[in-house]
Amino acid sequence: MTDALVLEGLTKVFAKPAVDHLSLTVRAGELYALLGPNGAGKTTTLRMVAGLMKPTSGSIAVFGVDALANPAGAKQLIAWAPDEPMLYDRLSPMEYLEFVGGLWGVAPAEGRARAETLLKLLGLWENRDQRCETFSRGMKQKAALAGALVHDPKMLILDEPLTGLDAAVARQVKDLLQERVKGGATVILTTHILEVAERIADRIGIIKDGKLLAEGTLQELRDRAGEREGTLEDVFLELTGEAEALPA
Amino acid sequence: MIGPPGSILWLVSHELRLSWRGLIGGPRARRRLTIFAVLGVIFLLVGLQVGFALRRIQAPVNPLTALAALAAVSVIFTLMLSQTLAGATEALYARGDLDLLFSSPLSPRKTLTVRFLALAANAFAAFAFFIAPFLLPVALVGHPAWLGVFAVLGDLALSASALGLVLAVGLFALIGPRRTRTVAQVLAALIGAAVFLTAQLRNILGGKASTSLALQLMALGADPRFHLPPLADWPLRAALGQPLPLLAMTGAAVGLFTGASAWLTGRFAGDAAAAQGADTARVRPSAGPAAPFARGAFAATFMKELRLLRRDIALISQVLLRVLYLLPLAFVLIRNAGAGAGYLLPGGAAGLALMAGQVAGSLTWITVSAEDEPELLACAPARPATVRAAKLAAGLTPLVILLVAPLAALIVLAPGVGVAATLGAAAAAGAAGLINSWHPSPGKRSEFRRRRSGSLLIGWAQLLVGLFIAAATGLAAAGLLWALAPAFVAGLILLALRRPEARIAEAFSAQA
Repeated sequence: MTDALVLEGLTKVFAKPAVDHLSLTVRAGELYALLGPNGAGKTTTLRMVAGLMKPTSGSIAVFGVDALANPAGAKQLIAWAPDEPMLYDRLSPMEYLEFVGGLWGVAPAEGRARAETLLKLLGLWENRDQRCETFSRGMKQKAALAGALVHDPKMLILDEPLTGLDAAVARQVKDLLQERVKGGATVILTTHILEVAERIADRIGIIKDGKLLAEGTLQELRDRAGEREGTLEDVFLELTGEAEALPA
Repeated sequence: MIGPPGSILWLVSHELRLSWRGLIGGPRARRRLTIFAVLGVIFLLVGLQVGFALRRIQAPVNPLTALAALAAVSVIFTLMLSQTLAGATEALYARGDLDLLFSSPLSPRKTLTVRFLALAANAFAAFAFFIAPFLLPVALVGHPAWLGVFAVLGDLALSASALGLVLAVGLFALIGPRRTRTVAQVLAALIGAAVFLTAQLRNILGGKASTSLALQLMALGADPRFHLPPLADWPLRAALGQPLPLLAMTGAAVGLFTGASAWLTGRFAGDAAAAQGADTARVRPSAGPAAPFARGAFAATFMKELRLLRRDIALISQVLLRVLYLLPLAFVLIRNAGAGAGYLLPGGAAGLALMAGQVAGSLTWITVSAEDEPELLACAPARPATVRAAKLAAGLTPLVILLVAPLAALIVLAPGVGVAATLGAAAAAGAAGLINSWHPSPGKRSEFRRRRSGSLLIGWAQLLVGLFIAAATGLAAAGLLWALAPAFVAGLILLALRRPEARIAEAFSAQA
């Protein structure tokens, strides 16, 4: 089976390298959590995968499609959901989903049906004709998530999807992501809420200074860090060396 | 900042600092400052000349000068009202800012009073800024009492703020928060346009008509039987520094402002809260079965852009008001061209083409460059050229709707001129749209009035293309083959401005 995402020597240099010869593989149908301290290069990596930024060097393959040689082909398979929802204040969620569906070339009838299902699932059906400018943060996040799912992507990339959400909405989003994974989709997310990664991720990658420090299941990471019974937080702090910075 | 923290003075200086940064901040701030400084020096030099010239002249107080002063006061008050009405609604919506102020230990009454005072201060500053370089030398050289003009300006600013606030809150109660904002912005723009058009009466009515109007007014002023209503000369007397009128006007303005401010402080906080939350809870019932989704990237983008344009009435009104602002120009063209009667319509056709280019330039800037979510488009698999074409088409649609009836009428009445005008308008609009598409200058919709038009060169080229196409349209409408010459030049400039797809894509990805 083709891997969902293969990064080989991915590098992005601004004033200094933000991503530094990063190589990692995400398998099809898994939920992969990319963790790292602030400024580690997580968002830059994901933005390059989503086609929003050109790498300085290296390669990106999305389900075998070379994302640099054939960006449109790769984008067709991906949905990108940044931490700030990409919404139009003056459109309703239904109109927004119509627009996104059109951009990804979804057939009108199919798009309409998917939009209805998603809005009902996310509890936005009653608000479908209301303009997004009147929405709360959680509602906006859900509308944006519906936009990411309306074209039924094979790979969903989410940057801090749970930031600012209340417990109920966060639970709804987590459940939805897990359902998608069960349905065969691949999910890659970044988060600072390590308990979330610990609970829902199949595999976890930890990066720092643009380099991959460790990768594997939680147990594999524990073994690597020598934290047999530790939480992901303990493992993360140990592997990133941030534990030493904490007061004794 | 001036004054102890938390004092009214301190808060006012904070507001003025924000206004100043709004005025000179952003891209090209240094250039704007330089222009202001150069203009200030020029005005000052001219002001000194005027000051010496007027040194020994006493301003007469008679019906004519009183009428002139009344007219000036009316115009300034109307313009200030336009400014304060728009400002008051912005204040109603600036909840982030008000949240911060209301969550501080400062009294809400003080906070709001300062916010209202800042409205007045901004209105005052907008006029004082231009008058001061002239008036100060005049006052210093021989007429210190004329500094009363500043006091009258302040009185007008306070009164206009009071009325603007009452109007805003009244509109809010009548039609709700969202519509208030739109209506107030449109109203403010219309008031401004009305004053502008009145000032352009000479261009619109023609020299004879406007002269006769002025003569009639002068004759009225000079007629010994004509008497102004009581106190009608007080604005003039106040401006000339006469104590009683000055004190009376200032007292009235301060009273009006204080009364309105005291009455509104309680209401205003409530309205601002409603502005934030009123629509959140309301769920609009769905209007029957939903329409089917658009097919493909072009249709979806086209629909989205049309929806966004239609829903931003304030923005659209700003764009379409340019049509009003171009009216005097069109009248001049028609009248000058109409020296020989046969050229009257070609002049109009040229004006129409020019207007079409201007309006299309604004509309396509909104649809092409002022994209709210460039990242969404950048990560979509749709062809950028398709999305851009849809945006151009959506930007030109309102113009087509605006022009279709007059052009159809023109084609029926004068087929040759009508066809030339239609082709000219289409060419000018298309050219403006293409230039915007080839040279995008990303910005926010809210920055429409202060948008950048790419480089200076592109701005000039855009203007030149519009003028050449307008000239070609006028000549073609007059049946002259010479029309080909400016059309050819416009085509050449367009060709020079054209960019390869890869470079356009780069400009757009930089936006994302």
